[in-house]
Amino acid sequence: MRTEQDTLITPNRLHPKEGEVIDRATTIRFTFDGVEYPAHPGDTVASALTAAGVQVLSRSFKYHRPRGLLCCSGHCPNCLVQIGDEPNVRACTRPVEAGMEVRAQNVWPSLKRDLLSLTQLGSRFMPVGFYYKTFIRPQKLWPLYEHTLRHVAGLGEVHIDTPLGEFDKQYLHTDVVIAGGGPAGISAALGAAEGGAQVLLFDENPTLGGHLRFTVPLDSSSTPEVSKDLPELLEAANQQPNIAVFTDTSVLGWYQDNWLCAVKGTRLFKIRTKSVVVATGAYEVPLIFDNNDLPGVMLGSAVQRLVHLFGVLPGKQVVIVTANEDGWDVAADLQSLGVNVGAIVDEREPNACSSPYRDGLVNAGVPVFYRHTILEAIGSNAVRGAKIARIDERAAISPTTTQSLNCNLIVISMGWTPATELAYMTGGKSEYNEECAKILPVSSPPGVYVVGRASGTHAVDSQIAEAHQIGSTAAAFAGSGEVNKLTAQSSGTLEPRRTSDRVCVPGNKKRFVCYCEDVTDEDVELAIAEGYDSIELLKRYSTISMGPCQGAMCSMNTIHLCARANDWTVQETGTTTARPPTTPVTLGALAGQNMEPVQTTPIHQWHLDHGAAMMVAGLWLRPNHYGDPAAEAMGVRERVGLIDVSPLGKLQLTGPGVPELLERIYTNRWENLRVGRVRYGVMCNDEGVVLNDGVCAHLNDETWYMTTTSTGATTIFEWLQWWLQSGWGEGIHLTDLTDVYSAFNLAGPQSRAVLEKLTERDLASKAFPYMRIRSAKIADVPCRLLRLGFTGELSYEVHCPSGYALHVWEALMEAGREFGIAPFGVEAQRILRLEKAHIIVGQDTDAMSDPLSANMAWAVKLDKPDFLGKPSLMRISDEGLKQLLVGFKMADPDVVPDEGLQIVEPDADGRLKIIGWVTSSRFSPTLAAAIGLCWLPPELASQDGAPFTIRIDGHLKEARVQHSAFYDPDGERLRM
Amino acid sequence: MLPTKQMSVQLLRQAFNSSQPPPRMWRSHELKERYDVVIIGGGAHGLACAYYLAKEHGITDVAVLEKSYIGAGGSGRNTAIVRSNYLTPEGVRFYNESVKLYEQLSDDLNFNVMFSQRGHLTLAHTDGGVNTMRRRAEVNQIEGVDSRLIWPDEIKRLCPYLDVSDHPRYPILAALYHPPGGIIRHDAVVWGYAHQADVRGAHIHQNTEVTGIKVKKGKVTGVETTRGRIKTGTVLNATAGWASTITTMVDIKLPLTTIPLQACVTEPLKPFLDVVVVSGSLHVYISQTDRGELVMGASVDPFSSYSMAGSLTFLEGIAGHVLELFPALSNVRILRQWAGICEMPPDYSPIMGFTPINGFLIDVGWGTYGFKASPIAGKTLAELIATDKTPDLIAPFRLSRFEENDLVGEKGAASVGH
Repeated sequence: MRTEQDTLITPNRLHPKEGEVIDRATTIRFTFDGVEYPAHPGDTVASALTAAGVQVLSRSFKYHRPRGLLCCSGHCPNCLVQIGDEPNVRACTRPVEAGMEVRAQNVWPSLKRDLLSLTQLGSRFMPVGFYYKTFIRPQKLWPLYEHTLRHVAGLGEVHIDTPLGEFDKQYLHTDVVIAGGGPAGISAALGAAEGGAQVLLFDENPTLGGHLRFTVPLDSSSTPEVSKDLPELLEAANQQPNIAVFTDTSVLGWYQDNWLCAVKGTRLFKIRTKSVVVATGAYEVPLIFDNNDLPGVMLGSAVQRLVHLFGVLPGKQVVIVTANEDGWDVAADLQSLGVNVGAIVDEREPNACSSPYRDGLVNAGVPVFYRHTILEAIGSNAVRGAKIARIDERAAISPTTTQSLNCNLIVISMGWTPATELAYMTGGKSEYNEECAKILPVSSPPGVYVVGRASGTHAVDSQIAEAHQIGSTAAAFAGSGEVNKLTAQSSGTLEPRRTSDRVCVPGNKKRFVCYCEDVTDEDVELAIAEGYDSIELLKRYSTISMGPCQGAMCSMNTIHLCARANDWTVQETGTTTARPPTTPVTLGALAGQNMEPVQTTPIHQWHLDHGAAMMVAGLWLRPNHYGDPAAEAMGVRERVGLIDVSPLGKLQLTGPGVPELLERIYTNRWENLRVGRVRYGVMCNDEGVVLNDGVCAHLNDETWYMTTTSTGATTIFEWLQWWLQSGWGEGIHLTDLTDVYSAFNLAGPQSRAVLEKLTERDLASKAFPYMRIRSAKIADVPCRLLRLGFTGELSYEVHCPSGYALHVWEALMEAGREFGIAPFGVEAQRILRLEKAHIIVGQDTDAMSDPLSANMAWAVKLDKPDFLGKPSLMRISDEGLKQLLVGFKMADPDVVPDEGLQIVEPDADGRLKIIGWVTSSRFSPTLAAAIGLCWLPPELASQDGAPFTIRIDGHLKEARVQHSAFYDPDGERLRM
Repeated sequence: MLPTKQMSVQLLRQAFNSSQPPPRMWRSHELKERYDVVIIGGGAHGLACAYYLAKEHGITDVAVLEKSYIGAGGSGRNTAIVRSNYLTPEGVRFYNESVKLYEQLSDDLNFNVMFSQRGHLTLAHTDGGVNTMRRRAEVNQIEGVDSRLIWPDEIKRLCPYLDVSDHPRYPILAALYHPPGGIIRHDAVVWGYAHQADVRGAHIHQNTEVTGIKVKKGKVTGVETTRGRIKTGTVLNATAGWASTITTMVDIKLPLTTIPLQACVTEPLKPFLDVVVVSGSLHVYISQTDRGELVMGASVDPFSSYSMAGSLTFLEGIAGHVLELFPALSNVRILRQWAGICEMPPDYSPIMGFTPINGFLIDVGWGTYGFKASPIAGKTLAELIATDKTPDLIAPFRLSRFEENDLVGEKGAASVGH
């Protein structure tokens, strides 16, 4: 590691003072671009770098101009850095940690000497939107151009081996949420809490207090009531049991029905509240002038933050450019710290200034230039001076009055724009207020209130008084839901104008409107002249406000420029839409913990211990096979096998209304199903598309037991719930037993012999025929037995309580040992069912398949009074089928077409026409043939033995239609 | 010969003589009393139609009416993915023609729409998913579209940041790889078409909302707008998410459900994701723009609405799903979310062409797949307007298919359609 000097100096650190948040007793070290720097706990990355004299923190997006601290509040793009694996970190708000590795982003080869800044030389050829007008021809070269453009764009890096962090979420419920913990926010919280409401108070900073943390008046005698405000407010909030404070927490968005979202580091808060008070403060607005992006040009509030919170002075020779008393506050503040305030440049008339510090500053010899403004920041990598000029009677700049001032810090204090993103999201309306030159909220929905600087009130005592009142209104609303119209909105106290509507000083160098995207005022004018005149088109074409600052620094200035260029009023110009999140938020925080766990059956470990290869099936992991699926299938055909079918959906329906429900949701008939019997059924949606299939058993008088496909279990439960809750639920109770019961299918000619060893129940076919359900104790566990035949063999589905599942499974395996039992997986089951030409919903059918076309007309009773899908199926039945699902056998038994392959027919020109496709296919070990199911045109499908061709790897292979099941077409083995 | 100067020449001229105002991309006009054709909707479809009407058929007396600014609807809200690897032969043929037009579009419009054919991957996480991808690949190949099934090693090569490890919940088993698929600068498509339509004489009227449509004896005679009345015999409804509000004016009911579709974008990052990645099972599609942002979207919202406010549920869901695929992205920040409005027909295929009302044409039902069809939709509808005949390419998408029970079946893909 390289160290700049042996002694790590911090030339810009001031002497200790009250209110700072750093712990000077401890010094930690971190690196920036490989150079080591000291910091104190409490420092941000940017404050520590500024203390050490580092001014350039980043390079701009397009021209790679050096950029330094501007807002120091996490809202501008100028301090974005890479910290370890984390890209685009705002250095001005990220607390520094020992050993942090901080790097500059998007520089080549280095931050100091970034060759990409040479792009500025050609900037006249690269105005706004230049890329739409260039690289068009020759078109072949576009990929090459694009490759280059792509690699000079982008900011931070994503490292491929970045570990997935740990994140979580918390739900909060409250009466009143206060977004913003400045004086207005705290006061509103007190008002609401005293009104009996439970209050959550959020602030993005490490401590409450907002601007009072760093704008402490110097002379407490001049405004004595302010100086004690913050401690008093904090103490009161601390004493108030109804207030819960969340610092370092940004409220990200407001969603319908007062559903809010906030983030604190890796934790996302999801908050339901009855009422919201927006106290998000204001953004200080930059001024647009030549070289206004030079490091050393900073907003007044940024300088005060650095000075008071971190004891860091970013420059020793200061020129202050202002249009209000705030600039004078900053001047007095710096003066009191012994800083040489080189000049105050105030665009107002002398008599417009009513700062209590004026006399003191003037008497101390600080030059004041009234009716002046700044023309240019002088310097190449940092401010070396300021060029100022007089504003003439027509409010224009008089070039003859230009003079240069030496300085290394230019403080811009021109005014504020309310941070109303959150208020906007609630559906609140804003209007431009000419008197204070701000867009202010004028209305908000019931239960939403805006206070403090966000509503245009700057005077601290007014903020506190208004916000307290609104806090109690919010509490009342939360209690009763009544809207007190009179106090629903803080209207913005009329006070001396704090915001200048002079946003741009013309000149002959680059003047940046948008720091994120390097858009200048000339770019804005050009875009408008080209026709991108509305604020929305201007935004999309220039990409102003689409960068990391999301408009915090540029929106207001852009609206003014747009209004002027079009000769519209600001109100006519309007604003763009504020969208969540108010502050960029990590994917990790939004995602939280992974809430989609894999489901496993109680037999899972047994499967693994016995060599199962697992596969994902819906939400579940299931054994695909245990080594040799063909052998597993043959084992079932010849002896006996056991498969874990626990993921099957299992629903219990109870009550007198069940038969009618079954009639409506299945396509076949159910009212005549006697107790102890099982029937196969197909469910369709209103369009007649197959949703699911399965069996349903009439268990006893008023109880039915339904199974669904494994992947459809949740969907069908929800589907039934939907209908039950939509008027078909009378006399029905529905319970999801999917996890309560585990299920195994014992299949094969020896299955009865195996089961007989474990139960006293008479299993003879006469007592327990095919398609029946019986209760029985298996290995002393009460089970439900269903005699079914998906595999085509004599088989019993054993449904047992999941807690005993492993016991029953092992008992079955043990009992079957003498018969050569073996477990079989999904693959063997697929072979077995395909040999029987049984379909799998979702594989052989898709989101357009109806049961008539799927060759299951036998399961559709169109003469039933009504059922889901009937009208569509009636119509399909009347008009004829377009496709039919049938079995096929390949001419060559060794060629198994992959599922999904297309069935084609060459047309007259030799072009292939698609006439169908293969849904299922396997090599059948029983038949030594390649078999499958496919969709074909009905006229072809209806001819047993008709040949057709499948396109396999580009070659056409012959197959023939087969109508009967491939194995045991008469189903004798099922009924053994 | 090009009707306008090379854009790059304009750029040079501007560079050396910035005092002269640049030519306007499109002009403002007074509403004329009568137009031959009125196109409702100033999105990519409507503007493309105006352009092709002029360019291919010499029909220039055309008004494009936009209630807001051009491209304010779905054209500026989609995730800018262009592809043709659909499931049905009809869909593949149609979108393939669109991709071909997109490939020439920068040259054609003299405006760089930045079509970036960086390849499109649709991931399969289950064996059923693999079969669906194979089915699409086969249909695509038979229709002459570059599309094939690839396996994890090749997926990893194309997209190193994807987690193709054997993780249990959503393993990446295979992908449908479609090299000609990619992304485009969607607003530029709108502006380019608007510019060239304007150059050829079409009138683009922004901030002009249609409030009524005049029909006499089953034939369109005019439209009423917030800026006055227009007489015309031909009206094309190209209003995507708001199409049913327009057809309601002439008492035509369309089988459409109106649903929001949401998307979001991250802060800019250095390029690391070359291809477009889509996962149907995870309901997510993601790509990296030339500016470095990740643009991502999900499936449509679970319920009907005209709200474009966006939801937290969407953000949480998409973040989780993106991290399933790209675990290295947990520190990447979402900058902005937004929503658009889709109108979805039951078979997930558009409805284009004639209606029972003479002179009232539709270009609707564009669900989640409208933007990528803009050039071909505009071109075929221009042909239909000019010739009064339905081009073969869009015959499958006629309105009468619902009465004839001849649906197109793109829904069979049963997955997210991007």
